[in-house]
Amino acid sequence: MKIVAVTSCPTGVAHTYMAAEQLEKTAKKLGHTIKVETQGAMGIENELAQADIDGADVAIFATDIALERPERFARIRTIEVPVQAVLRNPESVFGKI
Amino acid sequence: MKQALQRHRQYLLTGVSYVIPMIACGGILIASAIALLTLLSPNAMTPAGGPDFSAAPALKTILDIGDAAFKMALPVLAGFIAYAMAGKPGLVPGLVGGYLAGTTNAGFLGALLVGLLAGHVVNLLKKMPVHKYVRPIMPIIIVPIVSGLVVGVVMLKVVGVPIADFMKFLGVWLETMNEGNVIVLAGILGAMIAFDMGGPVNKAAFFFGAAMIKEGNYAIMGACAAAICTPPLGLALATLMSRTLWSEEQRESGLAALGMGMVGITEGAIPFAAADPVRVIPSIMFGSMVASSIAMLGGVGDHAPHGGPIVLPVVDHRLIYIVAIVIGTIVTAVTINLVKRLTEKPAAQAEGARR
Repeated sequence: MKIVAVTSCPTGVAHTYMAAEQLEKTAKKLGHTIKVETQGAMGIENELAQADIDGADVAIFATDIALERPERFARIRTIEVPVQAVLRNPESVFGKI
Repeated sequence: MKQALQRHRQYLLTGVSYVIPMIACGGILIASAIALLTLLSPNAMTPAGGPDFSAAPALKTILDIGDAAFKMALPVLAGFIAYAMAGKPGLVPGLVGGYLAGTTNAGFLGALLVGLLAGHVVNLLKKMPVHKYVRPIMPIIIVPIVSGLVVGVVMLKVVGVPIADFMKFLGVWLETMNEGNVIVLAGILGAMIAFDMGGPVNKAAFFFGAAMIKEGNYAIMGACAAAICTPPLGLALATLMSRTLWSEEQRESGLAALGMGMVGITEGAIPFAAADPVRVIPSIMFGSMVASSIAMLGGVGDHAPHGGPIVLPVVDHRLIYIVAIVIGTIVTAVTINLVKRLTEKPAAQAEGARR
């Protein structure tokens, strides 16, 4: 399955990037392709292009703070989870897709 | 209901995420200016007892810049809470309300509330049915003026004074607390910091500390700062102390945790806690409580909204700060290793518990 994801946390220095890494690792293990955008303290990094989003089957938001530029995701199915869920049990997050 | 509360937490945390660097800039610049002044001319005091910068214009410049960042902290906090709720039109009433929270001395609590209020007001205004001739002037005239007025009046005439009184009470209470209460407060803060290692509970304690920096009380953040780094440092030490209790992979995470602990990132403890929450989380909470209690009793103050050894230059009572961290780290390490030793059929189980 093709997945796009966004991660963010209040401080934006650790959880954001750990969650991104965890999503990438788990997706690979489960045989999905994933592209993860981080919205940390440095702002948006590894930004998802509209084409990435339009070409994906589902978007995962592991965001503890409000999503930046949400309008990009208007036409895709989305799943929202707390960042902690990704860090504690990433496979259950993928179980929701 | 639960979902609504969760959304509101997300709004508040969004504001917090924007304001943390602001407090860092202000807190560190102001603390550096004052620290350097006391180094250069220890007796430079104004008649009122504050630091006297008249002989050190360069330091005064740094102080002024830090002060500017501090002054904007409340508007940014309230502004971006409202922004998270209502998008672009939320900024005006949020910023204005946050500014007024500053001038009425309603402080960070006032800013949090007024940010939420601003967001709700704007969202209501957005829903109002209007004639299509009026629609173009809604976002540039009606919404900013009406929402700004509503928020401003509420802040100035209704909630500003009571909140300011409460903040004053809080400040006095924190300053006049006796030793027993100090330990209780420090213990609670330490436990919260370690409990979810950078999650929402940790952030609640952390933000209380950061907000109190803005109010001129550095002790809360001082206690948090010591507690922040002991979970990763303690677990790192634990893996170094006993090779048999930890798997190869865990000893490697231990080194990473050491690095993260030094720069004040509690999240370094997560790989351990994720693998074995029942034993790890109580151990790191205990260590953090010890560290925060020592720090608070010793009068440690932290002028930066961050923790760990890395903030040492902007900490008051540095020696006690180091002692608090070292003891907290040792307590964490000894506790977890002892608990593991008492409950463990070694290595194999630890290996199995990890993904």
